[in-house]
Amino acid sequence: MHGTIGKMKHTKPGHHVHHFVISYPVTMRERVYTLIVGPLLVCLVVYLLVRLFPTVSGTQTVTLPVIIEALVATLLRIGVAYVFAAIIAVPLALLVEVNRTVESFLLPVFDVFESIPNLAVLPILLVFFMQFSFLDGAAVTILFLNMVWTIVFALVGGLKVIPQDVTFAARIFGLHGFSYIRRLILPGIFPQFVTGSILAVASAWNIIIVAEAIHAYIPNGIPSQDLFGIGTLLVSASAQGDRTGYAIVFFAMVATIALFNFFVWQKLLNYAQHFRFD
Amino acid sequence: MNTVIEFTNVVKRYTPEAKPALRDVSFSVVEGEFVVLVGSSGCGKSTILKIIAGLEEASGGVVKKPAKVAMDFQSGALFPWLSVFENVALGLRQEKKTESEIRSIVERELRLTGMLAFHDKYPSDLSGGQRQRVGIARALAVDPAVLLLDEPFSALDPKTTAELHDDILKIWHETKKTIVMVSHLIEEAVSLADRVVLMREGVVDSEYPIALPYPRRESPDFHRDVMKIRKEFFR
Repeated sequence: MHGTIGKMKHTKPGHHVHHFVISYPVTMRERVYTLIVGPLLVCLVVYLLVRLFPTVSGTQTVTLPVIIEALVATLLRIGVAYVFAAIIAVPLALLVEVNRTVESFLLPVFDVFESIPNLAVLPILLVFFMQFSFLDGAAVTILFLNMVWTIVFALVGGLKVIPQDVTFAARIFGLHGFSYIRRLILPGIFPQFVTGSILAVASAWNIIIVAEAIHAYIPNGIPSQDLFGIGTLLVSASAQGDRTGYAIVFFAMVATIALFNFFVWQKLLNYAQHFRFD
Repeated sequence: MNTVIEFTNVVKRYTPEAKPALRDVSFSVVEGEFVVLVGSSGCGKSTILKIIAGLEEASGGVVKKPAKVAMDFQSGALFPWLSVFENVALGLRQEKKTESEIRSIVERELRLTGMLAFHDKYPSDLSGGQRQRVGIARALAVDPAVLLLDEPFSALDPKTTAELHDDILKIWHETKKTIVMVSHLIEEAVSLADRVVLMREGVVDSEYPIALPYPRRESPDFHRDVMKIRKEFFR
């Protein structure tokens, strides 16, 4: 639902410098197809699964206002984490551009950080943020960690596809320092920023349940410590036998992702075509 | 005539252990001259352009070159997100020219290269030949002392190449710019240059002044000069 990755390759063994080629729907027909058909297929599968395990009678845990409120809370968490990830990822990727020595030092470091399983640090993050009674901080941090390296490596891949002739032309025509970054590098890596962002946000949705239903990671945690959001609703509806509620929450989540895809990512992908080198 | 470029015993090594790209290059270019460097791949001709452009430093020897040079590349090296107008204005904006100066200069160069009607188009809307014209306009816009052309026609079809040959000669005659071009085609070099410099394995092998009238391809002596250089090239 977040575009199709056509190619993803490593330039050096062990270095995850990705060259993303995301095919994007061009015509309105294709765009509507990605808005409706894909999400409907996903929802159909979930519906069939829910039919296999019907709702335990008497349980009704979710209502529409609750779902909307939960969606807003979840989107805010993902949004805040994404903004931080984007703000941090751009300068981290630009450091690679400084020179080859810095690049050869930093890329392996980035690789190590990317390789650390994010969920392994969640318990310690929770202990840290519990001191301030700010569990949202742990959720946003884990989402941030999940997103930032995806964007960093997409941007590093973007730096590699700026043609040498163009960088030479930039230098000959007086672009140095900040103007070189502002007028060449930032526009030049914009397509990879968009594709990296799409993948990063997709990965955030992947771990939203873990980021919100956090009581399992808190020492002696109880469900009331979970953060209110779409991930928690999914877990609690399922745990309480409210399969219909689970399906409704799931459909709402898929619809949100599909609409976001249609109105934001597809438009950005389309716009990013203007920034691609042939 | 003033000498604008002078290489004296220039050596270039990209890494200390690598074979030198330039071993001992000495040659000069005078103001208003059109010099074409020819040679097989890896002979060092593009390295010479990069040193003149300030993109590389010589490892040894003495290089005299003007402060202001501009270069056009094989790909055109245009910024895809900028319009034709803004691509040509790139260097002018860095020079902090006023908006009216920029407009006047860009329009002049686009008119000279026949691209004025395309000022609001983007590189993706243009053919290879049109991109080259924009690249040349961008280079001329900063009023360089020397215009460097790095195999500008090698990716183009023969018809477009012939048209651009005529255009570059027209631009040269109108602007009186000093031009140093790299090519791997001897016919192209002889049809354009005042002087052809043949490079071989990092040194200047030989130089050939071309005294034929333009257009040269119709001249009976064109093939004689081409064959003379070709014989040396394949020696």
